[in-house]
Amino acid sequence: MGVKKFIELVTETLGLDEMKKSSKKKSVKNLLKKLNSKKDAISKRLKAKLSKKKTKELNEEMEIIQFQIKKGEVILKKLNS
Amino acid sequence: MLRRIFLPAILIILGYGFWISPDFKEIAAGVAIFLFGMITLEEGFKAFSGGTLEKILKKSTDKLYKSIGFGFIATAIMQSSSLVSVLTISFIGAGLIGLTQGIGIILGANIGTTTGAWLMAGFGLKVKISAYAMPMLAFGVILIFQKAKSIKGIGYILAGLGFLFLGIHYMKDGFEAFKETIDLASFAVDGFKGLLIFIGIGILATVVMQSSHATIVLILAALSVGQITYDNALALTIGANIGTTITAVLGSLSSNIDGKRLAGAHLIFNVVTALVAIVLMNQIISVVDVISDFIGIANDNHTLKLAVFDSLFKVMGVIMFIPFVDKLVKFLESNLKGKDKQEVESYESVQYLNDSVLELPATAMAAIVRETKHLYINAFEIIAHGLNLKRTNILSEMELEDVIKEGYSKNIVDIDDFYEHRIKGVYGEIIDFATQAQSKMSPEDIEDLYALKIASRDIVDAVKDTKHLQKNLVKYKNNLNNHIQEQYDGIRIGLAELLRGIDVVSKMSEEDEVIVLLSKMKVNMQRYDILANGTLDNLIRNNLITNEMATSLMNDSAYAYEISKHFIAMAEIIFIDVSSDIKNLGEDMLISDEEVDKILEKGD
Repeated sequence: MGVKKFIELVTETLGLDEMKKSSKKKSVKNLLKKLNSKKDAISKRLKAKLSKKKTKELNEEMEIIQFQIKKGEVILKKLNS
Repeated sequence: MLRRIFLPAILIILGYGFWISPDFKEIAAGVAIFLFGMITLEEGFKAFSGGTLEKILKKSTDKLYKSIGFGFIATAIMQSSSLVSVLTISFIGAGLIGLTQGIGIILGANIGTTTGAWLMAGFGLKVKISAYAMPMLAFGVILIFQKAKSIKGIGYILAGLGFLFLGIHYMKDGFEAFKETIDLASFAVDGFKGLLIFIGIGILATVVMQSSHATIVLILAALSVGQITYDNALALTIGANIGTTITAVLGSLSSNIDGKRLAGAHLIFNVVTALVAIVLMNQIISVVDVISDFIGIANDNHTLKLAVFDSLFKVMGVIMFIPFVDKLVKFLESNLKGKDKQEVESYESVQYLNDSVLELPATAMAAIVRETKHLYINAFEIIAHGLNLKRTNILSEMELEDVIKEGYSKNIVDIDDFYEHRIKGVYGEIIDFATQAQSKMSPEDIEDLYALKIASRDIVDAVKDTKHLQKNLVKYKNNLNNHIQEQYDGIRIGLAELLRGIDVVSKMSEEDEVIVLLSKMKVNMQRYDILANGTLDNLIRNNLITNEMATSLMNDSAYAYEISKHFIAMAEIIFIDVSSDIKNLGEDMLISDEEVDKILEKGD
């Protein structure tokens, strides 16, 4: 067994690659959690009576958050596969 | 002059020593291997200092006791107080910690060095240490040749420890053999005279070896075979403690003023502690005997008793200094002053970039991030004043319509002059420093560094765009055509909103808020683009503005768009860095231009 393979084996056995991956997963999950709670908060606010300008602003923010949630889910899916 | 004589003198003394005694050769080789081990060990720890350094430092140095604990642990692990002091100077230089925290780390590092004496006295002298050295060296060197930074780091640490152990083995063997030919103990000097002479030798030995740790190991090796007396060994230990400050003083020469103040604190602390130890020498020796008895160290076990002495007098020094840390900071701040303020104000210079932060890639990176933020603060002011807006109004909760009504000055602000004095020099130094720093960086770090250089360029470009925009803002300020005035007011409102938003982002710590706000700014930037939203077409079609006005407006709208684009791009690099969660995800979470278009289409 070559030195390179030995190192790879040690890295694999100690799960160093997995550690890096799981830290990224944790970051995405954290972010998704925050974004989802933000989305819920905006949904609640949109149910109340608001001015046209405010409703437009909140709808736009909702759109942005939805895009970001989608992006986060794609990243998470990639990390899980 | 002294430096020119110093090195040849050392080489001649060593050469003569090798000539007359092969055992001296073994001791000297042991010291050389030990020092090489320390260099290798330092290299290994540097490989692990990137990434989360800033976070760790913030959490572990926010209180004085935590700073002391951090210094103690770092030194106990790395076995080098010199490395810890040089790194602390580097942290201060990069603005990662303040002077008080730095002094705390140095106090802790002083206690941390005592672990070396305990390890050597309790373990190094009792077992055949070279048996551990060989496998460490073999494994270490194999790992050093690997590409991965962390594995390489482990390799350096293993090899470093291997060399340390091997060095100790040679020193020990050398002294044992040396004893058979020359008895150094016959040169022992008793009393106060002996105390002063051996303190001097301790200082000199540490200055030559640049390591108090190496000196103490050497003292213990000599003491273990009776080549020096216990009393003289105590004096040598005090001398080593003073000599070690020279490394910190030399390290601070290339640092900023806080780095120099820290080296000053280190010097004051060690010299005062040594003076107190000299005055209370007999009492300290009695206490050492009592402690040794209490923990079961035999009366004739001088090596372990030396370790007790080393710990006692250093802990005593730290306890003595803790109540005076704030006073020491004030004393150093009033006696060691930075550049004249007037000089700083006329041509603004960099605040965080100095040679001391080049010590570690992580501190160099942190310093460049901070300097880029400094450049952004200057640019913020120039852009605000260039748009004839008050910075304080932008940062307040005032309605933006009111912000643009209250101008900054009746006179035209000279952006060129501002640029020359507060942007150009700082930008040039950032680029120059980044080029120097990247030679020590990994490919991933170089990528981050490249992004930072782009962020600095974005800032500079935004200032230049403001200069172009300012010309017509002034020209159409009091124009009788309300439509053109309205458009220019709209540009000013849009940019004021952008500056306010960027300022909010710069102070945010919640990553979800940061990315949502930056995305909102991107949407707004597109919305204010009068070329894309049809406003300009409408004005021309209905003959509301002249052709000349249309051309100006078209150009200036493009400038405003570019300013926004540059500032948002810059914020994505320098402010997202604050949150490790998003940094971990990179650009993957940020909204793209196509997505911005989709959001705008839906909104319409």
